Amino acid sequence: MKILIVEDEQALAQDMMQYLAHEQYLCEWAPDYRTALEKIHGYEYDCILLDLMLPGGDGLSLLQELKDLNKQDGVIIISAKNAIEDKVQGLRLGADDYLSKPFHHAELAARIESLIRRKQFDSSNVVVQNELSIDIHAKTVMVNNVLVNLTKKEYELLLFFLGNKNRVLSKGALAEHLSGDFADMFDNHDFVYAHVKNLKRKLKESGYGDYIKTIYGTGYKWET
Amino acid sequence: MTKLLHKPLKAFAVYALIILAVSIPVYVLVVDYIWINELDENNWLTLQHIKQRLQSEAFSNDEIENLNRIWGELHPGVSILKIETRPIQQDSIYEIVRANVYDLDDEEDRFRGLASYVEINGTPYLLAIETNIEESDETFLAIAVVTFLFFVVLITGFILLNRRIATKTWKPFYQTLEALHSFELSKDNTIDLPATDISEFKELHQSLEQLVNNNVATYQLQKAFTENASHELQTPIALLKSKLDLLLQEKDVTPERSEILNAIEAPLSRLSRINKNLLVLAKVENQQYSEREQLDVIAFIGETQSLFEDYITDKALILQSKTPPTFIVSANAFLLETLLHNLFSNAIRHTPKRGSINLSLENKTLSFSNSGNTALDAQHLFERFFSASKDKVSSGLGLAIIKEITTKYNWQITYRFENEFHIFSITF
Repeated sequence: MKILIVEDEQALAQDMMQYLAHEQYLCEWAPDYRTALEKIHGYEYDCILLDLMLPGGDGLSLLQELKDLNKQDGVIIISAKNAIEDKVQGLRLGADDYLSKPFHHAELAARIESLIRRKQFDSSNVVVQNELSIDIHAKTVMVNNVLVNLTKKEYELLLFFLGNKNRVLSKGALAEHLSGDFADMFDNHDFVYAHVKNLKRKLKESGYGDYIKTIYGTGYKWET
Repeated sequence: MTKLLHKPLKAFAVYALIILAVSIPVYVLVVDYIWINELDENNWLTLQHIKQRLQSEAFSNDEIENLNRIWGELHPGVSILKIETRPIQQDSIYEIVRANVYDLDDEEDRFRGLASYVEINGTPYLLAIETNIEESDETFLAIAVVTFLFFVVLITGFILLNRRIATKTWKPFYQTLEALHSFELSKDNTIDLPATDISEFKELHQSLEQLVNNNVATYQLQKAFTENASHELQTPIALLKSKLDLLLQEKDVTPERSEILNAIEAPLSRLSRINKNLLVLAKVENQQYSEREQLDVIAFIGETQSLFEDYITDKALILQSKTPPTFIVSANAFLLETLLHNLFSNAIRHTPKRGSINLSLENKTLSFSNSGNTALDAQHLFERFFSASKDKVSSGLGLAIIKEITTKYNWQITYRFENEFHIFSITF
């Protein structure tokens, strides 16, 4: 899987590459508009992470360029501008998702995985992980061909874990994933614990291994 | 409070009263003086005329006596009387007050007299002439009445003139006052002052315009500063969060370190929230988010509620809502969402465990009430960074944002504390 990171902040771009490298993604970096334009013209990417404020040009015109070239690359806008107009305009110009800075790497990884899944698994729609299989379209989860009855939140958590395998996920990141951007309005994310506990119990009852590990003082980790 | 123009009016009236009051005795003295002089002169002239005639006509003593009798009958003011001794005295002027025979209302009259001596046929005679003169107390009364009438006319004139001056000359001043009254630093860039040809007002207007321009410039600068500062902070905050995420992934993180890392996350997300909120405030102030749509408040409430569901369940809060099926307002979607998020999160955070939150929309008024112990300081509640609680996550800006958004759309936000409930109401 190839990912292009269009981001002028070098440190942030490197962090993203470091986090994503684990997931068998091949990351390339374009620090400015010109480089990004060249790379877009020259290569195909499964996913482009696009910052809107770039030296030498506006990220939105890169989107227009992709559209004009009739490219199918998935695009996630990552912007510090957090302006609703940019979001609306970006999505209209063909971006697939929008993530405002600052974000958790785990959230970004989950979004990328979800985007790539949508782009590539159009026919099957099924994610298989050991004896677990998830039908993305129908939003159903099976263990050894037996349906596991998960709530919406538990289902979302499961996908989030699978998008960040072998990663420590903090409670804050999990809460933000479930409640959105406004999770930081609260100091107590205990509900995450309840959801994770239920998810673990349900998977275990269906005969699935105990892959979700609790990391003391921090959060959880899906270990494979 | 006295109005500006009433002050000189009062002073003028008092001054006029004093001057007019003082003028009364002065007038009386002057008039009396003129009266006396004129009468004395008149008496003297008449007397000279009589003297001359008496001497040139060569009246006999009997005729003179007869004359005196006739005068006494017809013209009591003049008399001629034979005297025994030769006169040694000069002419003398005298004043006499006696009863008035003809006017019963006026009991006494004042007379001005002139007595002289004349010798006819060797006999000395005392010739006297008396003329009625107005008493000074009557003069005083007359002048006082007239003066008082003029005083009334004067004051009426003052009041009328004052009113005219107030409406004409002071008009620009009152317009200026009105303009200042309606001026809002957050909305207006300039102040519109009326044209005037009065130099003081012109100066006042120039000073005011300068003051307003300086303030507007400072305010713009401050707004720009807030927005720029928030923008500048975004990248370092993003980097911090990113580094913290990577640090969490390290293989050999001990539980102790892990706890420290976890403890960093909370203040960091608060920092991030404050920064986001400052940016939203600056943008609302800078008239961004200008596009409006017809939005259903009830649908937005539903979305917010499901977003915060976990937090409500977590604290075992009882949420009751009484809303119509739809309620449409014209607003910016992001701002309406922000408004409801803030109202909801406030209610959730400040309600004790197992407390209750009531939500209602009636008569165009959306009310959030949640149980609490003591009333909050309603006066400062909506100010930035006014923290009512020792809340660790509060950005101190939530209510300021609510206030700013409601102000933008001319909605009314009120807070009251009733029956152990905090009630925030927004009237659309």
